[in-house]
Amino acid sequence: MNSLDPKKWAHQLLDVLTSLKLTILCLAMLIVLVVACTLAQVQLGTWGAVEIYMRSWLVWVDLPGGERHVPVMPGGALVGLVLAANLLVAQLRRLELSWKKVGLWITHAGLILLVAGEFVSAAFQVEHQLVFEEGQTVGYVEHRQQQELAIVDASDPAVDDVHAIPQGVLGRRSEIPLAGTPITLRVHGYFRNAQLRNRGPADPPAPATAGIGPMVTALELPVESRDDRMNTVAAWVEPVAAGRSLGVWMVSNALSAPQAFTWEGRSYQLLMRPAREYLGYSMTLKKFSHDRYPGTEIPKNFSSLVRLQDKGRGEDRDVLIYMNQPLRYRGKTFYQASFGKGDTLSILQVVENPGWLMPYASTVLVTVGLLVHFAISLRRSMKRRDAGAAATPKQPQTQGA
Amino acid sequence: MKLEKWLPAAAGAVAILAVLYAVKAPPKVRGLDLDAFGHLPVLEGGRVKPIDSLARNTLLVIRSQQSFAFQGRTVKADEWLLDTLFRPQVADEQPIFVIDDPEVLALFGLQQSRNRYYSFKELRPRIEELEKQAQAAGRLDAKQRTRFQAAAVNLSERVYLYWRLQNTVQVVGSPGLMAELATAGSPESAERARYLSQMAHFRPLPPLSGQPVEAWKSVGEALSQKEPHPGLTTLARLANAYTFSDAQGFNQAVGELRKLGAAWPDLASKASQELYFNRIQPFLAGIVIYVMALLLVFVSWIWKPQILQPTSFALLSAGALVHTLGLAYRIILQGRPPVTNLYSSAVFVGWGAVVLGVILEWVYRKGFGTAVAAATGIGSLIVAHNLANDGDTMEMMRAVLDSNFWLGTHVITITIGYSGTYLAGAIAIAWALRRHIVKDPDPATSKALYGATYGIICFSVFFSFLGTVLGGIWADQSWGRFWGWDPKENGALLIVLWNAIILHARWGGFARERGIMTMAIFGNVITSLSWFGVNMLGVGLHSYGFMDKAFWALAGFSASQIALMGVALLPPRFWQPGAFAAEQQKAGAGTR
Repeated sequence: MNSLDPKKWAHQLLDVLTSLKLTILCLAMLIVLVVACTLAQVQLGTWGAVEIYMRSWLVWVDLPGGERHVPVMPGGALVGLVLAANLLVAQLRRLELSWKKVGLWITHAGLILLVAGEFVSAAFQVEHQLVFEEGQTVGYVEHRQQQELAIVDASDPAVDDVHAIPQGVLGRRSEIPLAGTPITLRVHGYFRNAQLRNRGPADPPAPATAGIGPMVTALELPVESRDDRMNTVAAWVEPVAAGRSLGVWMVSNALSAPQAFTWEGRSYQLLMRPAREYLGYSMTLKKFSHDRYPGTEIPKNFSSLVRLQDKGRGEDRDVLIYMNQPLRYRGKTFYQASFGKGDTLSILQVVENPGWLMPYASTVLVTVGLLVHFAISLRRSMKRRDAGAAATPKQPQTQGA
Repeated sequence: MKLEKWLPAAAGAVAILAVLYAVKAPPKVRGLDLDAFGHLPVLEGGRVKPIDSLARNTLLVIRSQQSFAFQGRTVKADEWLLDTLFRPQVADEQPIFVIDDPEVLALFGLQQSRNRYYSFKELRPRIEELEKQAQAAGRLDAKQRTRFQAAAVNLSERVYLYWRLQNTVQVVGSPGLMAELATAGSPESAERARYLSQMAHFRPLPPLSGQPVEAWKSVGEALSQKEPHPGLTTLARLANAYTFSDAQGFNQAVGELRKLGAAWPDLASKASQELYFNRIQPFLAGIVIYVMALLLVFVSWIWKPQILQPTSFALLSAGALVHTLGLAYRIILQGRPPVTNLYSSAVFVGWGAVVLGVILEWVYRKGFGTAVAAATGIGSLIVAHNLANDGDTMEMMRAVLDSNFWLGTHVITITIGYSGTYLAGAIAIAWALRRHIVKDPDPATSKALYGATYGIICFSVFFSFLGTVLGGIWADQSWGRFWGWDPKENGALLIVLWNAIILHARWGGFARERGIMTMAIFGNVITSLSWFGVNMLGVGLHSYGFMDKAFWALAGFSASQIALMGVALLPPRFWQPGAFAAEQQKAGAGTR
């Protein structure tokens, strides 16, 4: 009667949110998303497809011909959130708190934890690489896709003074002061992905005025999302000190020639390099091994013998990192990922995920929950069978133990 | 004794004895002791195996079969290998290259006909053209190759394998190993030894005492050494004896080579065990027994059920026993959990479904357990048989897979999940067909089928879920990502989601008996796509050639399952007049 009654509305909303139909709808949506995401991986690479279908609130599609794109269905994040909410609310509202349902309670708690774990991973998981050759000692890890602009003052022979600017900051800000120096960087342009080539006579004038930049033309490209392809970041920066320009410099990870400007007798190097994270401890590759099965090229094992030195904690020991046997140290996990240079260079994948234990806990919960639930149901149906058998004459009655 | 008492036991026993009879050594060919030859251990693909395995697997790769008819008799793999090694002029005439692609045939000026097999001699005049085409195609990514290019690359790889095999012991066209030993030290001989060690497909010479166990030598390597390997002269005598059909000399040389291999008793006895396994072919035997069980259970539904139904069950159990022992034998031989690759996963999926089916039949005793178990067993073993064409099914595990713990937990649980989903689908199909075939289906059997399907889906959802998350944990252990949305992971997730939908639809009352059964049939499609479909995605959905057959097989299977879903949804005996009206009336009565 009064369809605008807020209480009734809230009730109806709660009905929808707790309904089993919504659960099935979410599961079906997930099937659609997973299939679409899997097929899209052929074109976009794993993480490109995951960003579009799974780690998004809505899935957008470009309309043909136009610049407009429209959402066509909910993305994995939205479906996951609704599913988790549905599980949680339905659990609290509909399922009675009885021993008969204890299996479902445990299972659903585990599933909520699993979905939450995927959200935590999506938000907080950071992946780096550690690349070192035999004999080399490294105290930092590098990001695979993200670059940073490093301004290195190497005037002091003992210590380098490094200012690192993440590539994202280059895109967001037009003026970046370098702390502890009189210099401010002005950003004149920034491409997340570009193709560089030698400047031809017909090319538009180069924004750069110093270094190698005036001889190079950069064409902006769409950003690559495939894991196996690199983006070429390009930016134009103008160091300014005391109101004086020190030239406009082009920086890019595709330019390997060193560039430097000078101010007050100090030389500052400009480097676009993979974004670094300093560990606070160091790792030395003592030996990399690549074992093969006899008479074949089939790899049997890859392993890195690493010396781990952490002065802060007084650690100095050898660790062996090999297949299925990572090193977990101070919140980071180091895995044997790749190798090169005639088996003298080792590449470790370095992963930091504060939620890494959540799936483990969830697995235990769901497994135990399902076992308990099916055991209870089985016992109930056995009892029913026995009761049915007891109803027919001449059958001796056996009560389920 | 009564017929129904002893016939089942007798049938089962006969089936098992027939399987074991295959261990018997084959008769001598031209007086040559091919049985003893088959026992010789060699190193190939990173492991020591009997030369019989090498011969069978190589012929399987080249011809897709382990034997062939030539000049009015059957040539088995061991004899073919000997001809290839020591009588190349004979081997070149044997029709061993299977070619299906019409464009590749056209390359050789051949027309497609009923004959699919060609000899090296027939291919030789145009082999350079094939190499040219294959090289051009080889530069392309496997995904981008056309059907012709993929087939050309495939054939050229098989020709190259054959060529390597021919040049493993002696260089084709040279006077032979005996002459090689006589002229050892000359520059031409050193050149030929280098060529031999480059080409060698396998290493026949065992390490000498004091050498490490991996130090097997190819003939070329042994010829290049300062101190000649004692096996070389024996091998040369064997070559000579085979070339000139000197049976006595051949058998003697084989005996001496076996003594040399016996210096490593573990390897030699393992090689012999593998040879017996090759002869028994337990999974092929399993197909035959399951087919008999299936036919018998069909007959039992119209004729003498009280005798034939237990007999069919006994046959199914015998098949399950052979299947189980075959799996156990493989586990012991390989020293690994049962599932290590796609081939063994198919064997194991079938096994899981058959064992579940045996339990079902034990509980319900209505014959349908036997029928669905036998049908699933046949299907999966045929799939396995076709997957074996890639060669050695006991290949070594690549580094990251080299973990018996994870192979034993994640891979096993997920494969049991496949078994369950397929068995549930098979029961649902039986349920659907029964509604149309049986005149007055008794509701008790329908109910039993429904109950069994529901129970098995619960079973599968548990194992699929556990297997999927264990896979995630393995991934977290080996490269730090619990969940990477990798196609294979997604496939596993789809099975869990689909089974979860079925269970929730039942609990919510949105689907009744017929709806649940229809959904269970679709479980077959989802499982097949996640088992094989994602592998094809890796190769590329648009790549043809070798995966082509598998792709169409998968598409055909999925289409058949969807058709069966239609059959499940139609009213019982829908071709009879008034079936739809009766169905509507029943539905109307149900709502009132």
